[in-house]
This record gives sequence, C-alpha cells and structure tokens, in this order.
Amino acid sequence: MRRITQDLLLGVVFSALSAGLLRALLLSPGALAAPAAPPLGAAPVWPASAESAVKVASYEIVAKFDGEHHRIEARETIHFVNRSSAVLNELWFHLYLNAFKNDKTLFLRSPFGAGRSGDKAKQYGYVDVKKLSVVDGDGQDLWLKRDRHSPDDPEDETDLRVPLEHPLEPGQTLDLSLEFEDQLPELVERTGFVDSFHFMGQWFPKLARLEPNGSFAHFAFHPQSEFYADFGDYDVTLDVPSAFQVGATGSKLSESASKGRTLLRYHAENVHDFAWTAWDRFEVRSERIAGVQVRLLYPPHQQQNADAELASVRFALPHFNARYGAYPYPTLTLVHPPEAASNAGGMEYPTLITTGGPWYSTFGGGHFIDVVTTHELGHQWFYGLLASNEHAEPFLDEGFNSYAEAEALEARFGAASVFGAFGQSVSSTALNRLFSAARGADEKVAQGAADFATFRSLGAIVYSRTATVLATIARVYGRDRVNHALGVYTRKFRFQHPTTADFLAVMQSELDERAVTALKLSFSERATVDYLVREISNAPLSAAAGVFDGPSGRQEKKPEAPHQAAEYASRVVVYRHGVLQLPVDIALGFEDGTKQLRHWDGGSFTFNVDNLGPSRLVSVNVDPEQRILLDDDRSNNWLSTRGDPAPHCRDGALYAAQILLGALGP
Amino acid sequence: MSDQTLNRTTPLSTAAAAGMLLWISRTLLGSLVSYPLLLAIRGSGMTSGPDGDAVLFQPGSLLLLELLRVDAVGLAAAAQVSLLLLGLSAIFELIPLALALDWLWRPKRPLCERLSRGLSLFPRFLLLGVIALLVQAALMLAASLLGAAFKPVLASADERLRSIAPLALLGLGLIACGWFGGALDIARATLVRRGARAPSARAAFAHALLCLRAQPFRVLIGLYPSVAGSALGLLAAAWLLTRFVPASGSNVAIALSFGAHQLAMLFAIGWRVRWLGAALELSAEGD
Repeated sequence: MRRITQDLLLGVVFSALSAGLLRALLLSPGALAAPAAPPLGAAPVWPASAESAVKVASYEIVAKFDGEHHRIEARETIHFVNRSSAVLNELWFHLYLNAFKNDKTLFLRSPFGAGRSGDKAKQYGYVDVKKLSVVDGDGQDLWLKRDRHSPDDPEDETDLRVPLEHPLEPGQTLDLSLEFEDQLPELVERTGFVDSFHFMGQWFPKLARLEPNGSFAHFAFHPQSEFYADFGDYDVTLDVPSAFQVGATGSKLSESASKGRTLLRYHAENVHDFAWTAWDRFEVRSERIAGVQVRLLYPPHQQQNADAELASVRFALPHFNARYGAYPYPTLTLVHPPEAASNAGGMEYPTLITTGGPWYSTFGGGHFIDVVTTHELGHQWFYGLLASNEHAEPFLDEGFNSYAEAEALEARFGAASVFGAFGQSVSSTALNRLFSAARGADEKVAQGAADFATFRSLGAIVYSRTATVLATIARVYGRDRVNHALGVYTRKFRFQHPTTADFLAVMQSELDERAVTALKLSFSERATVDYLVREISNAPLSAAAGVFDGPSGRQEKKPEAPHQAAEYASRVVVYRHGVLQLPVDIALGFEDGTKQLRHWDGGSFTFNVDNLGPSRLVSVNVDPEQRILLDDDRSNNWLSTRGDPAPHCRDGALYAAQILLGALGP
Repeated sequence: MSDQTLNRTTPLSTAAAAGMLLWISRTLLGSLVSYPLLLAIRGSGMTSGPDGDAVLFQPGSLLLLELLRVDAVGLAAAAQVSLLLLGLSAIFELIPLALALDWLWRPKRPLCERLSRGLSLFPRFLLLGVIALLVQAALMLAASLLGAAFKPVLASADERLRSIAPLALLGLGLIACGWFGGALDIARATLVRRGARAPSARAAFAHALLCLRAQPFRVLIGLYPSVAGSALGLLAAAWLLTRFVPASGSNVAIALSFGAHQLAMLFAIGWRVRWLGAALELSAEGD
C-alpha cells in the first residue's frame, strides 16, 4: 500500500510539473501581450484622400426572412446614376445566388474540392426576380425582356442583361424597383444555411459595376472568382423571427419587435455590398475599438476564440489605420460561424467579416484565429475601400491583403506569426514564400481569377506569390519605403476602383525604377530569380620562382611549398538565373575567421567575387539576410568547407529516434 | 516467492548498470534509425552554408520550410527507411531489455551467461511483443469504434463535447494499452526469473494476467511514475533548451543541446528501470 501511495504521489507530481512545462512551451511570447502598432517612420506625409465615394448604385431593401424554410421575400429599390461618359441602353445584373440553382451552372459544374468551397450543397438555392420596373415609369416589367442566361452560357443565370426602354444619358439617374424571392442553398461558398444558422452573402439582385467608359464589368459567377461592384448607400430593413440574433453590414438604426418577429433597419454609406447573418444560438460581445463599435457574434462555448478575435481587432485595426488610412465606418461586425458552417468563415464584406475555426483553435501555439481575423479585417481596405476588380485582378486585393496581414501579424507576434511553441516558430512570410516558391512561376500573377488552372494555383500565386513579391521588394529596397508607398496608394485610391496600372503609377513615384521594373516583371511576366554559387577556388600566391638575372648576377629561386604562401587569390562566381534583377549581398568567410560582405547589384548574369588576402576563402553565403524571398532555390546559395554541416539535426534526429524507440519498444 | 526473495530496493549500482545498458542500446539503435534522415538533410544542400544546419532553426522557419520543399522526395524516402529501421530496432532492443531485466534480477551473473540467457529469451520476448501489439491494436480499434458509435448520440451536443468525447475514448484506450503494457513487462519478468525453467510465452502471459487480476491498481499506478517521469524529462529538456540555449551553430550550444536531450533520455530510462524492478517483484509475488 505504501508503495502504491508513493507511486501515485510521484506520478501526480510529475504530471503537474509536466502540465506546467507544457503550458509554458505552448504559450508563445506574442500571445501574451498585444503591443501597440509600430509607427511608420517619422510623421509620414500622405496625399489627400477622398472622404466618401462617388455613388453609382444605392440600394433600399425590405426583406422578410423565413428561417424555417430558408427563404427571403424582398422588395428592392436601386437608385442608379450613370456616372460614365456613354449613353446606356442596357443594364447588367448579377444574380449570384443562381450559381447554386442546379448542377449545370458555371459554379456547380466546375470541379469541386479544388475550389474555395468544400462540399457541394445538398439543397439548391436560387433567386427569382418577380418584377423589375422603373420607379415613376409606365409600370412595364423590364425583367420580361431580360436575356435568359449568362452570355455564351445557356446553363447559367448569374449574369443577365436587361435592355432599357429609354437610353440613359451620362449624369442621368434611374430608380428601379424589384421584387424578388430567395431560396437559400445549404451552405456553399459562404452563402446559405446549416440547421438554423444562415448567412446571406450576395443574396440580392445587384447591378454590375459601371466602368467610366460606359461598359459594365459583368461576369458569370465562377467558383474561383469573387466580386466587383459600385459604391453606394444601403438601407436594408430585415423582418426576422425574434429568436434570431442578426449581424449585418452597417449601423443598426432601429429595432422593434411584434408578434414573434423583429424588424431591424440597417444603414451603410459608401459601401459596395450588404451581407447579413441570422442564427438563434449566437453569443454576442461588443466593444469600442479605435473609435469603432465592434460587435462579435460567435457560437456558444467559444469564449477563447472570441477573446482572440477581439484581441486581433484591438491590434490590427489601429495598425491598419496607421498604415492604410483610417477605417471610415462607425461599426464593424465579426461573425464566427459554428463548426458545421465553417464554409461561411473567412470572408469579407463591407463592415462585416467572418472568421472561423474550431473551439480549440487557440490551443497549441497556433495563431489560426489571429491569422483569419487579421486577414479578413485587412480586406476592409483591400477591396472594401480599394474596390478593385476581384474577378479580373484578384491579386490587387487578396495578394496585397496577404502582405498586409503578414506585416501586421509579424508586428504583433514577431517570427511566430502563424505558430510558436516548443522553441519553434513559423511566420506568415515563410509560409507565403513556401507556396510562392512551390507554384509561383506556374502562372502569371496578374490575370483573372477564372483564368487560373486550379484554385490551388490561384491560392499560391494570387495570395502567396503577390505577398512574397511585395515582401522581397520591401526587404531589398526598405520596408519603410514600401510600406509608405502602399500607404500612399491606399489613401490616393480610397473609395475608388484602382487597377494594376494605378498601383504601378504610385510605385513609380515612390520607389526606384529598378524596384518598379521588378514589380512589373513579377506580376505580369512570371519573372523569377535564383542566385547560386558552384565552387570556391583558392590559389596560393608564392614569391616568384625561377632563374633571375640581376645586377648582382644570376639567381635561382626555388618554388615555395604551398603552405608557405603569403597570400591567396580566392574567387567565387555567383550566378543569377532568371530575369529578375535584384541587388544582393554576398558574405565571405575566411579560414582565419575574418568575414567580408560584398554587394552585387544583380545586373549581370554572373559576378566574380575576387579576394587577395592572407587566408583562404572557406565559405560563401549569397543573400545572408534572406532578403530575396523570391529566390527560387535557397539550397544553392552557399558553400562551406565546414566539417559537420548538421550537428543540430544529428542531435535532434537521434533524440527523436530514442523517444520513438522508448514508446514503441521496451 | 519461489525463486528468491526480491530485495525491494534494488541497489543503485545495479539499476544504473541496467539503465546504462538500455541507454547505450537505444543510442546505438537510435543513431541507426536517424541516419537515413540525416543523410537526406545533408544531401539537400540546405546545411551546406557557413552556419550549417543552425539556419534551419532560425525564427520563422523560412529555411526549414525550404528544406521540406526542396527535398520533399528525398526526405519522404529517408523517412520510410527510418521507419523500417525503427521497427527492426524495436525488435532487436528486446535483447538489451532481457539483459537489463536479468541484471536487475541477478546482478552478479557472468556477462557471457547473461548474454546467452538474453539471446535464448529473445524468441519468447518477441512472441510476447506480438501478442501485446495485437491486443493493444484491438483496444485502440475498440476505442475508435466506440467513438464513432457515439457520434450520432452526440450530434445535438455542443462542439466541444463532440470533439472531446472521441479523444477521451482514445485516451482511455491508451491507458488500457499502458495497463496491458504493464502486464507485458510482468510476463517478461516472469520469463527472466524462471531462467532455464522459463515457461512458454503463453504461460508467462497467463501468469502476468493473474498478477494483473490480483493487483490491478498496483500495476497501473506502478507504471504511472514511469510514464509521467518520462514526459517530465522530455518536457523539461525542451523547456530548458528553448529558454536558455539558442539554436546557433556554436559548439557550446550543440553540446548543451545534446547533453540536455541525453539527460532527459537517461531520466526516462531511470524511471523505466524502476518499473522493471517492480515488475520483477510483482511477478515473484504472483508465484
């Protein structure tokens, strides 16, 4: 009995100590405190930025929600202004919800699994427009004259043309009235329902973006694509069963309940979309952060995730404000969908973002919640305020936002921005570089979302390659300069629809010509770079030997033994493969322990590093600070005559094998 | 007790000798197991720079991920070879285990005789290991099936319960496996104690199960400090190294890292040896 007690006591003590150590090892330093946003150099000078958008399409919607049958009945009024230079004879409508109407739509007939979404929906969804007429017009139903399908695609009804009865001159306004009904699909691509959880994204008939030349930027809903729309004001009244908690774009103006239903009115100005969610099990937390009323909706029992999400906003909102201009809206809504509806997670809409992750996401040293929250919050700038065409140039929002996300996370957590535990850390920059190097040269960065071969390719190139290009330029030409240049871009094109050309024009004014060339080549030409070394040579320089005739007669000098040489001529040749020309440092190490740093502008294809000195050259390391994240292969950047090149690995591998043997064997 | 009255406190020198024997064998076999991986890492070129493999452990893991990218095929192949070697090593480590048990039971036996006994017991140790492996696999399978069976029942429960319940069942399965592992050690101890009169593996196992039935909690709780002590040693080494020893290429850092790891291993083996002594005692009490 005494022995049992002794063993039990020992076991308990050991377990308690182990638990303490495990906790210490799992807690990364960055998780403990959220430092203030680092200043962006001394008092940066920013260009003037717009206070509001040029409004083209504003929407008033009154919607009645049936949570049991997952349906919405709604009336919609669109106030449209022809801000283009052309006379308009037609309108283009996006009916994104029709992407889930049947298996033949462009969206659902595309290969699944490789797209953004997970499983196909078991219950289909669609939007039926009942009537479209001009307000104060002759009451004619324009919808009857619509095209029946998307251009060149008889199976798809997500991109429909409606001819106008009368031409619309530049500057003229047109008020349209619609009646429509939604049948929500089982959750797919962020929209739909799972049990009583509902998420309504792209749920209403929406005008395509009117370009300045009078063309509409319209497209059928492709599974790899996102959206593009004009700015406007949204006034949306939602009639929902009172049991549901609702989160929506904009500010809640009023709320009234009657006979088991609640009427909620939301209003948002200078936005280009309106999304909302309804669930009868949401927990709600509210907090004022950097002058913004932040409201978080999350599933029961996920307090730790909620804490992490609010902590992320507390850091990232002021950080992004300083970097890219102040968030201009009074509210921000965060939605953490339940686990069964995880497809709804990780998406951005104006003033509303969805995060996600299982309840244990904050355990184990990973920063998954912080990564998702920071990324989606960053979209309030990259696409929210800089409303570029996500269909045609997805890298302008997803890629730039991935850079912004990594920069913010590393400002907060340092190198452990994705993971930090057991003395190991993984940074966002390292992960972006990994995906970029693996697939980055497969396709062009600057191409349409639907043009990418697969969503994996799009993910690696649009998100990771773009972020890696920007991070490389920042490391090579100065982080402050690049961040400042991005800040100029985000302020100059706030509430606008910038293009690649707009971005490059700003970079042209803020950065060196070579940096801009590298950006252009990287985005448009699949340009790559790989610095490499092949061998080190050391030639002993001895005193001249041979027969010499001098004033004092003929003298014979014998060759010295190599070890007696006074000097060595050392050479290493550094090669550049690929067309990207980026300046690079080269670290040289000599036998006597001395070191030298040489600089190469990267302009030529080879660079001879010569040295005349008393010691042999024993090591070379091209880009020792790892500035050129675009370098295709880092394993050929160095050479060394070092004895055992892998002592840590030897120790670690032996230790791991011993542990496994202990667990498996006796 | 039929053979010998077991001295409850095994002399420290004897325990140390048995422990050293296990550590040496584990180190040699561990070196063998890890060698293919080490070769793959060296062959990748990622450690050819002036800082060797210290670059792989820099904050952010940029170059560690690069190693995984540039040498994924080589590392995968090496890992397969290492796994094969691990399996073989686990089998061959039964010989030093038999020697260590024998050392604990009869500290003064001549080395040749001890070696000969260890080798002669190897087939029965192996058979015991196979039986135990099959039973433990069945236990884990049962735990996993039970978890799957509970899934519909838990469909309406909250997310936490839905994900914790199968894990808890697997945890219970692991405890049962550990318990069964304790019985396995008692069976091994029985074989060692009986020496020339050693029963068949099946009979030894039956004897161990009798011991387990007679004193179930003593087996379970006797194993507890061994398992918890091993975990403590490993975690303490990890904590000390992450706090005080940066992964630089310096010789001091490498020596400290190696020292801490091997101390942790010795600590774990020490507790294992203590349990083996207890297993001998339990086996003798069951006679």
